[in-house]
Amino acid sequence: MTTSNETLNKENLAVLKTARLSLFGFFLSVPPVLIILLFIGLPIVLAFIFSLGFTSGPNRIIALLGQEIYTKDNWWGTFDAYKSVFNDSRFFGNLRTTLLVSFVTTVVVLTMSLGLAIYQRIRGGRVAAVLIALTLVPLFVPVVIAAFAIRSFYDGTGFFKSLFEIFGMNFPTLTMTTYAVAIGTIWTSLPFSILMISSGMQSIPDALIETAQDAGAGFLRIVRTIMIPLAFVPIVIAATFTAIGVMGSFTIPYFLGANQPTMLGVEIVNFFGPYNRPQQSVVMAFIIFAAASVIGFFYVWANVRSAKLSGKI
Amino acid sequence: MTNYDQVRRFRTYLIGEKVMKFKVSKVAAILATAGLVLGGSVPPAVASKAIRFHLSGDVNVKDLWEKSLIPEFNKLYPEYPVVLVFDRNGANDAQTLAKIIGAKLTKRDPGIDLIDGPVTQLGAAGMLYRANPGLLPNIANVPRVLIKNGRGGIPYRASTVLLAYNSKNVKSPPRDLKSLLVWIKANPGKFTYNAPAGGGSGRAFVQTVLDSNLSPGEIKSLVERADKNVQVKWAKGFEILRDLNKFTYGQNGTYPTNNQATLDLLSKGLVDVAPVWSDMIASALKAGTMPKDVKVIAITGPSFTGGPAFLGIPSMSTNRDGARLLMNWLLSPAAQNLIVAGSMNGLPVIPVSMLDPVASANISDIDIRTLRPPYLSANHSDMNAAWAAAVPGK
Repeated sequence: MTTSNETLNKENLAVLKTARLSLFGFFLSVPPVLIILLFIGLPIVLAFIFSLGFTSGPNRIIALLGQEIYTKDNWWGTFDAYKSVFNDSRFFGNLRTTLLVSFVTTVVVLTMSLGLAIYQRIRGGRVAAVLIALTLVPLFVPVVIAAFAIRSFYDGTGFFKSLFEIFGMNFPTLTMTTYAVAIGTIWTSLPFSILMISSGMQSIPDALIETAQDAGAGFLRIVRTIMIPLAFVPIVIAATFTAIGVMGSFTIPYFLGANQPTMLGVEIVNFFGPYNRPQQSVVMAFIIFAAASVIGFFYVWANVRSAKLSGKI
Repeated sequence: MTNYDQVRRFRTYLIGEKVMKFKVSKVAAILATAGLVLGGSVPPAVASKAIRFHLSGDVNVKDLWEKSLIPEFNKLYPEYPVVLVFDRNGANDAQTLAKIIGAKLTKRDPGIDLIDGPVTQLGAAGMLYRANPGLLPNIANVPRVLIKNGRGGIPYRASTVLLAYNSKNVKSPPRDLKSLLVWIKANPGKFTYNAPAGGGSGRAFVQTVLDSNLSPGEIKSLVERADKNVQVKWAKGFEILRDLNKFTYGQNGTYPTNNQATLDLLSKGLVDVAPVWSDMIASALKAGTMPKDVKVIAITGPSFTGGPAFLGIPSMSTNRDGARLLMNWLLSPAAQNLIVAGSMNGLPVIPVSMLDPVASANISDIDIRTLRPPYLSANHSDMNAAWAAAVPGK
């Protein structure tokens, strides 16, 4: 009797110990989750119902102050605010500019990062190390300073313009155009992408590359079939973070871009402040959110696929 | 093993052995001591006489307050320290208004005792504490019409938008709006104004062009209330502005984003003529960031807008006495001299004859009672949005 009791007790206590640890872990994770729910989740929900026309409760004062507020006429709200944004003559131009700049920036940044990372992986050496160190410089420059510097560099009295003047040629003034915005976003997005992709490339074992070379594979074949697939997750991370970051950017388009069309980040600030139309600015924010979710879905798919291939799930 | 033993071991596993060994009395003693220590270290509530001042404007006003007004005031009244909160160009005006309105609705302290910013909006909504004029003796020197326009706010400084021109390249500047528009088309790429959403100088230019196609009654109604019917008449003015796209700086329908960007273009010589705030150009000339060739002139028919900046005391403020004291001091000749001289170069709200003659030598010809007032802020918001849809990039 005593023996089986003791055995039973030992098993029970082992179960209790596991239960105790997982209970402890649960309570440790509650504060950060609560903070995220309260300070990020709740405002998002409030903003979403504000865009649908729920103007009572916490949204009462912003509805009092704003102009062109559409209040709900059904139990589920109203789409009038969304309609007014879609009917705005500037909106689709701004949306197209935003998506275009994000796409171009991501493609250029990925190309440059892949090129530099592959060069460093295959060739190595001093030149590659110096180049990578140089590309990390934008990481240490605050974005406002960078935007101001790029503006001074490309404006009517800037470096290229002055240089070409000496030879009697005309270099276009790039500030207040979408080209300057693209230059700015590429400049600021490069460091993160290079860090991710070069670290992904460095983790590819030498043996695989050398075996492929011994088997007679050409350089492009090695890159296409070995290096890129093995560094797939870091490449996807770099691509999605660059695209989502550029989509919501404000400082670079504000300093360097045209008044219209501009990127949606600047438009949201304009609608919230000087135009005093907060509901429309919230609508635009959710449209960017929807676009970013598409990219986020791609990111999740890539990670799940990679986990499945490596047998983690 | 008894049931009680099992329960004890379960409890031990849940909360750890060391804690179990602590006797309840020890725990109670520790908690009590902690309570006393924490309770004792909370400082007694001090009747704070600090004046919390919220400033929504451009950086030159911030410099005026930080470098001249606050130090002088605190020399005279050291028991009322002034705490400055700065919001550049009113970027967060919506939140500030929400804070003050919310405080009034929930009967709480708004965190602001005195505000220089969207005061007429607050006054129109009944959110301001209106001091009895008997409590503000210096207000007797301020013109009545300015006080009426304040809707409960008290004016303390003024500025107006003027036309700045590079006298080296522009020998005879245009003196009225019509000849300005002719000059712009005759000299492509040499004029610009900032987007109205970004700064008051461009906003004044846009409003003036729109007003040139409105009757005086229509202009008055836009100044006094939100009027969508009159806004329809802006179409002609926007058409004129759209036609200017090919002739302004860049000649591609792009405009600088704020007041300072326009001043930068002017100082680099990229444009020859631009609308600027009187105080900003005077400060830039004095500081040497603007070439000495740049001069200013006030155009007519209609003139650019201008007017006073207003101070308001939110009705739930906890330090109304201090705020009133500061307000009264700002209307005194000593404070008005600081506003006129020094780095700000603003316009005073009391008669020039009461000021220091040396400091006020340059401003004696501007009568602030005749400055054209800007629209009500709701109409300005609509104007900003309508301009952005009608003009740039077209």
